[in-house]
Amino acid sequence: MNPTLDQLCEQFGRLVGTVPVPSKPPVPTASSSVGPALGLPVAASGEGRVAGPASESGAGLRPADQAAKMAAHPPPAPTGPIQKTDHAAKGYDLDVTVAPTQIVMAAEIMDRAGFGLDAITGVDWLAQEQMEVVYDYFHPTAPGRVAVRTRVPRARPEVPTIAAVFPGANWHERETHDFFGLVFAGHPDLSPFLLPEDATFHPLRKDYQP
Amino acid sequence: MEAALDTSQIVKFAKLDDLLALSRANSLWPLTFGLACCAIEMMAAGGPRFDISRFGAEVFRPSPRQADVMIVAGTVNRKMAPAVKTLYDQMLEPKWVIAMGNCAISGGPFVFPGQYAVVEGVDKLFPVDVFIPGCPPRPEALLEGIMALEEKLTGKRRWPVVKPPQ
Amino acid sequence: MTSPADSAVRPGVNETFVLNLGPQHPAAHGVLRVKMTMDGEYVMRAEPVIGYIHRMHEKMGENRTWAQFLPNTGRIDYLSALHYNHAYVAAVERALKIEVPRRAEFLRVITSEMNRISSHLVWWSAYLIDLGGLTPLLYAFDDREKLLDLLEAVTGSRLTYTYFRFGGVYNDVDEAFLRGTRQFVREFRPRLKMYRDLVTDNIILRKRLENIGPISAEQCRKYGATGPVIRGSGVAYDVRRAEPYSVYPELDFEIPTRPEGDSMARYLVHMAELEQSLRIIEQGLDRLPDGPVLGKVPRVLRPPAGDYCFAVEAARGRFMVRLVSDGKDIPYRVKLRTPSFSNLSLFEETSRGMILPDALALMGSLDLVIPDIDR
Repeated sequence: MNPTLDQLCEQFGRLVGTVPVPSKPPVPTASSSVGPALGLPVAASGEGRVAGPASESGAGLRPADQAAKMAAHPPPAPTGPIQKTDHAAKGYDLDVTVAPTQIVMAAEIMDRAGFGLDAITGVDWLAQEQMEVVYDYFHPTAPGRVAVRTRVPRARPEVPTIAAVFPGANWHERETHDFFGLVFAGHPDLSPFLLPEDATFHPLRKDYQP
Repeated sequence: MEAALDTSQIVKFAKLDDLLALSRANSLWPLTFGLACCAIEMMAAGGPRFDISRFGAEVFRPSPRQADVMIVAGTVNRKMAPAVKTLYDQMLEPKWVIAMGNCAISGGPFVFPGQYAVVEGVDKLFPVDVFIPGCPPRPEALLEGIMALEEKLTGKRRWPVVKPPQ
Repeated sequence: MTSPADSAVRPGVNETFVLNLGPQHPAAHGVLRVKMTMDGEYVMRAEPVIGYIHRMHEKMGENRTWAQFLPNTGRIDYLSALHYNHAYVAAVERALKIEVPRRAEFLRVITSEMNRISSHLVWWSAYLIDLGGLTPLLYAFDDREKLLDLLEAVTGSRLTYTYFRFGGVYNDVDEAFLRGTRQFVREFRPRLKMYRDLVTDNIILRKRLENIGPISAEQCRKYGATGPVIRGSGVAYDVRRAEPYSVYPELDFEIPTRPEGDSMARYLVHMAELEQSLRIIEQGLDRLPDGPVLGKVPRVLRPPAGDYCFAVEAARGRFMVRLVSDGKDIPYRVKLRTPSFSNLSLFEETSRGMILPDALALMGSLDLVIPDIDR
């Protein structure tokens, strides 16, 4: 790990309030994880369901119905908010999970460290009734690729905008809003971008019907 | 009294329509309307190797008021469709349309169940005279399309279709 | 020369108007619309409006199997289709841990660099047309046709290649290709010199491009601009060095960088990259090993659940594919991070106060392909 990424681990650790996790962490169960106390997504590996930060784990379906509803195998939940990953296996070096309210501070950490915004990706986890937003960062002069992710409930998909920190996010967030209906609070202009000006649909949602 | 001269060698009579059709066919001015990938092959057809200028069509006009033929080269989007229709309406008669590439013919590779953005063929917007299939069609295919349009105008091909050797 | 501040001379007079550039415009490089608020000839605000060639690639990623999405990659940025092929197949190879034979990696690099040259030649032609020089197109397309002949013999296509496969490439090259490529490299270097004498050193071009459209390295970082844009602003950022992939670590090439940050700097970076691509092709041909061109690939592709990224240095900049898999044979999400999207996003800020022809010179130097923006 190069010094920049180690410093980032430390700063993110302070942001999310945990210590950085080494690359082979123990698999946590729902009860032992530190997440719910901080409003962070819980790594519940047994159920395969990740609760949103603002929602109670009981709201919605029972675990059995939840599992039945899911036709997809979900990806393995992150085993800790800050995870060092193998670039050759994943394409990025650091995987950070934060609460939606911490997104702007995470972006500021990346900005101060000299990273540039690579992409903002929305993912619609219909079965888990959540939407995930992944922020990819690259550094122009140092090695290191960082992915910062957050999850919001599908019923209220709101994330603060980072356009004040990275002006390039303006367009990325507008596009993500077009495709998913994610609302980036504070964004100057969330009108349709890639879709026609009068479009009212969000085509990349999994329940989109043309 | 002078005898009637045999002028058949130096004077030709033709219908004005035929003359006009011949001159139009040999000087088609295309509208620069490259939308996507096919536009590059259209540019290559205007390049030195394929040389659309041999057929009088190298004068690509940016303004629809000055163009005869709209070569729709690329995918037509639902967002773009009103602009395409406006351009077609702005062209003066007589005008023709060549649909170049699979996208302009039928939406191309972008037609799938649940598609929300592509107009499936530019002939849904206005009549098309020549369809050139391909993804993208070679510049020679575009030239063949121009030949076909000329044949549509004049009734005669500039030269016969090349038949592959048996 | 008057400047926008001269409106102070005419107090109380607000004479801005909105000029619509595109979506059909010879200098728009495709269907880009720019709503320009103008004060006379000066651009007060240039707001790009995109979406006119949005072809739903990311949605199609969720409706196609992993292999069926491959032809889409050639159509995202059709001028450098092989780079886009590369990023997608390499992302899936990363997920499935598929080994690519060395001969295939070298063929990927050789053909990709040939694609980079053909893409830069089209950029050069179109840029000069924007600036009013219609002749370079005729020279550049002549060279490009030679490249396309070689690539067509190997890949079957002239433009929208689908040559790469998971695990390698689908067709091996023959002696004619190797001989032809070496001959192309031999013949292209004197042409580069001619382009330099005819165009690059031309006083008209220099006056049109020098000090026009300065972009700072900090702006590039904030907007995520990559490729010749960031290299023309003094930062030697190239994905081939930052996140090395394929056999690029074994090859010796420079990253051309210019410190000025104006349109001329971006132009010179593009032209210098042509020479570097020739170097890479020569080294690739010299070192091309024997062997198979396709590795072992599972019959049904089901990448393990998770997300995977792969980035390449495409002709326009950093192209990254982010795949989200849920273990099925259809991707759950395919995110395409395209260079032209990020490069165009800084146009609004950097074009303020320029006169219209200079704004177009700036836009052309960003090397945009509009379907790359809209996907």
